Amino acid sequence: MIKMKNLVLGYKKEKILKDVNLGIKGGEFIGIIGPSGAGKSTLMMSVVGGIKVFDGKFKVLGHDMDGIKKKKLRKIREQIGIIFQGYNLVDRLSVLDNVISGMLSDIPVARAVLRYYKDKELKKAKEYMDVVDMTKYTAKRCDELSGGQRQRVAIARALAGEPKIILADEPISALDEKSAKKVMDILKRVNQTYGVTIVANLHHLDVAKEYCSRIIGINGGQVVFDGKSCELSSEIVEKIYTTQK
Amino acid sequence: MLIEDLRKQSTPFKLTNIVLASMFLMILSYSWVSTKMSFKELFDGWGYMVSYVSGNPEIEGSSYFPPVLDSADLKNYFWAMVETVQMAVVALVMSVILAVPLSYVTSRNILMILIPGKSVLHEFLRRGLYAIGTFIANVFRSVNELVWALIFVSAVGLGPMAGILALGIHTAGVLSKLLSEGNEAIDPGPVEALTNSGAGFIKILAYAVIPQTMPHFVSMVLYRFESDVRSASILGFVGAGGIGFYLFDKLRGFENGSVCTILIFIIVTVWVLDKLSAVIRRRFI
Repeated sequence: MIKMKNLVLGYKKEKILKDVNLGIKGGEFIGIIGPSGAGKSTLMMSVVGGIKVFDGKFKVLGHDMDGIKKKKLRKIREQIGIIFQGYNLVDRLSVLDNVISGMLSDIPVARAVLRYYKDKELKKAKEYMDVVDMTKYTAKRCDELSGGQRQRVAIARALAGEPKIILADEPISALDEKSAKKVMDILKRVNQTYGVTIVANLHHLDVAKEYCSRIIGINGGQVVFDGKSCELSSEIVEKIYTTQK
Repeated sequence: MLIEDLRKQSTPFKLTNIVLASMFLMILSYSWVSTKMSFKELFDGWGYMVSYVSGNPEIEGSSYFPPVLDSADLKNYFWAMVETVQMAVVALVMSVILAVPLSYVTSRNILMILIPGKSVLHEFLRRGLYAIGTFIANVFRSVNELVWALIFVSAVGLGPMAGILALGIHTAGVLSKLLSEGNEAIDPGPVEALTNSGAGFIKILAYAVIPQTMPHFVSMVLYRFESDVRSASILGFVGAGGIGFYLFDKLRGFENGSVCTILIFIIVTVWVLDKLSAVIRRRFI
């Protein structure tokens, strides 16, 4: 799904990630951990383009990301769902409209503008709202929901695009413990039921250990750990979180 | 950090604040003196104002009060007021049709969705569209409705159509400025989410931009509607239809009782529209 070989990534002239070697297969649940500013978000968001490749090889869903054309990038993006820390929902739209906005690439422009949906689209939206347990709130506006509920809508929206990969950028950092658990449970269920690869950038080490089958630790722009969560010893954790000078 | 440092950091008496306040006061006092503004003259002339409003007792109908309530005149004013509101409605629709696309090309964030990319060509196209859009909007709103009305009267002749075109063009310029400010204040998060999901420009507009700008859009459009009704009521001065024709006619003839009646029509209409706008605003925001 994703291949990085001796990859150097960054913005304009600044190199953020150096010498990254990773291979991510279908169906994995990966947690990216590391201190603030380590390059976790850069690594994750590089998968949808927009981050400069300075050196190395970088393939996403079989496409070379270095100098990728806009049209091809759009095709890749259609196969990737993203869950943001701040949800990025449209507050004034209903839960249903927000979920359907995740499958817009399959709906013709005229119908999308009129919000005239076909039965198969509504059926699909209902299925994903069921997955995140939000069916009873379909008509509610998103600004009337709690943070946890909003994040669940965001997951349903990501699922609506039938993605091969879901990128979750700190999906639970703004949530209370109970809501965070519910969101992580849903992500796990999505991973197991639909076989979607999940790459989650997580601040909570315990959560990463509990839910992720594989953990990637980043510090100072370099991958310092890549292995199963059970292999994560306290020495390795210290290595990941020790500030580099 | 010492308390002295915090005090220095938080004091309102910073050099830049003092310079800005002094500059503002200088501009205000210079403008006040240059335009010969004087409250004294207003108080001195109060008596003349009262005698103008109360009229000359020897000339019938020269007083504003009581308003003239002739039934034939009232019927004429009523239909002229209806025509004024109709002019404002058509002009508003026309101005929205012009202003919405103009507001998109004069909003930097919307242009980034329309023409994404960091190359020189992309930047050139964005800047070019922005400059053209801003220029058109500036021309539309810089020229007063009355001047536009005179121009359109010369093209389409006397009557409400010239007024509608004048209001439509001027309001399009004002609205595009107001709407572009609303566009630029949207939360970029939903746009980012839809861009990443591969949605194109129109779909991003429909799902991420328009729902966010809707309250601002409704508020500004209603505000301009009230404003258009007020403006439409004087466009008749230059023959561009509406109740302004009667207002101008009666003002010229010093028939101030009738002027008062027309003013009451305008005030009541604007008041009713204001109440209606408030109801619509509450529903949308």
